[in-house]
Amino acid sequence: MELANTLSQDGESRGGVLAHLERLETQVSRSRKKMEEPQSAQAEESALGTRIHELRRLRDKLRAEVKQHQASVKASTTNVEPDQTLEITEQESLKRKWENVKAILQAYRFTGISGKLTSRGVCVCISTAFEGNLLDSYFVDLVMRKPLQIHHHSIPVFIPLEEISAKYLQTNIQHFLFTLCEYLNAYSGRKYQADRLQSDFEAFLAGPLQRNSLCNLLSFTYKAEPEGQSFPFCARLLYKDLTTTLPTDVTVTYQGTDALSTTQEEQRAAHENLFFTKPLHQVFTSFARKGDKLDMSLVS
Amino acid sequence: MDSQLVEARALEAEITALRRACVEPPAPGEDTSRVRKSFRETYQADSEGWELSKDLRSHLGHLESEIQFLSTLTGISIRHYSKKTEDLTSTEMTEKSIKKVLQRHRLSGNCHMITFQLEFQLLEIQNEESLSSVITDLSIIMEPTEYSELSEFVSRAEERRDLFMFFRSLHFFVEWCEYRKRTFKRFKEKYPEAVHLSEGASSSCMGIRNPSRPGFELVIVWRIQIDEEGKVLPKLDLLTKVPLQALELDKNGVIETAPLSFRTLLGVLGIEATLESLIKSLHTERVMVFRQSRPARTGNRRLPSPPP
Repeated sequence: MELANTLSQDGESRGGVLAHLERLETQVSRSRKKMEEPQSAQAEESALGTRIHELRRLRDKLRAEVKQHQASVKASTTNVEPDQTLEITEQESLKRKWENVKAILQAYRFTGISGKLTSRGVCVCISTAFEGNLLDSYFVDLVMRKPLQIHHHSIPVFIPLEEISAKYLQTNIQHFLFTLCEYLNAYSGRKYQADRLQSDFEAFLAGPLQRNSLCNLLSFTYKAEPEGQSFPFCARLLYKDLTTTLPTDVTVTYQGTDALSTTQEEQRAAHENLFFTKPLHQVFTSFARKGDKLDMSLVS
Repeated sequence: MDSQLVEARALEAEITALRRACVEPPAPGEDTSRVRKSFRETYQADSEGWELSKDLRSHLGHLESEIQFLSTLTGISIRHYSKKTEDLTSTEMTEKSIKKVLQRHRLSGNCHMITFQLEFQLLEIQNEESLSSVITDLSIIMEPTEYSELSEFVSRAEERRDLFMFFRSLHFFVEWCEYRKRTFKRFKEKYPEAVHLSEGASSSCMGIRNPSRPGFELVIVWRIQIDEEGKVLPKLDLLTKVPLQALELDKNGVIETAPLSFRTLLGVLGIEATLESLIKSLHTERVMVFRQSRPARTGNRRLPSPPP
């Protein structure tokens, strides 16, 4: 029936019966093929499908394994590495801090007052200087107790330590230390001037320099010109204020019996003024430079 | 079917890669055995490092407390310090066993409200007998610059290269400033209507008025000066402001002599008692008669140090 239908649907019949049979054969083989193909394809497809299924499963399993493996290794490295680096940077920063702190402690001596903690309290070191020259240092060992006590010290005996400590030690320790600083620096400065006069300007002195241990009373005879015609003058310098390095009282006198001429009198007055305003050794430096022609501009 | 084949191929490739990944270590250049080893090492170093840093930490703590103590003792806080050393010894000097070294120091910190920055050079010459250290250069930068008295003082200190004088005078200056501030503040609190501080407690002037008698005013000018030697001295002056009619009534010239009397009073009673008596005097019921007059200086005599 189908065949008949196909024939009639084909429209024009081609050839004769043989042709008709040929066509039938071809149709059958095609339909047979068609019937076979889905089966093999299906088989193939199903085989491939299963395979893909398997592959997918395996892949997922491996993915999970790898993830786990990565996570575990990561965990162990996070436990080890960051700690290690943290340790290093902490040590480095500690060391840097330590060096900085040590440097700052050393730097305190440039303020004039520095100290070290002791078992009793603190040992304060007071530094002195004059005209940029660093001079002697002195120490005061304090016991931190109520009342504050001085355990021992290297302050010279002619510095009024008891007076200063009686006034300020218990009530204002900063004031105590800085006042002591003032006295010691002034003493160091006066001593420096007297020493320089004795060592550098011996040629100008007509006799020994008389001085007391506090270096606040100096007396000497000098000539403004070592080998010149100038007259020897006698100078007496008194530093009543122990916190200064310039004298409060100056007297310049002439030891001779004759009266002074006006120029000499001018010179004497000028010298007096110089001693009031300039440090001792600087006065003599200016003598050395100017000779006996005193520069009046120095006097103003 | 083609698409399935493609998919199958892709899956196979992925699986191979995954298998490789399972075996290989994920981090570059590190395998599990190495990780384990370094862990052991660091654990050992860890404990040693811990000891070191513990020592360092405690020592550092001790040093830091020492600095804190020094800062309290001196009133000066040093925040930063650095030093550079340059060896200037020539070959001739070495032969004579003389050593010459130039140090460059840089120091910064503060003393209460004043911050400073110093740079100085120290020349050290060591010969067989002695060591001499000389400051050959000093430069100072200070803030705040509103204290005009300080700028002159700073240039003087730089000129004389007197580092210690700088710190000493700085300390006394700050001490006086704080005392002045405390005193003004106290009077303002005690007599709020009478006392007038134009710039607050840090100002250098204190005005005394009586609100019921406008037109009359006493002004105390309290300056803190640093002299040539670095000595810090307070300098107080009294200025009077008086209406003209009142002036004419002043037969005894009380106002004219007021500044002088002020100076005498300062010498007798001290600063605080003098100021208090002035404040009280403006509050009496008697009509105070004043006259415009020139302020007199209180003189250069050194007044006692400020009480703690």
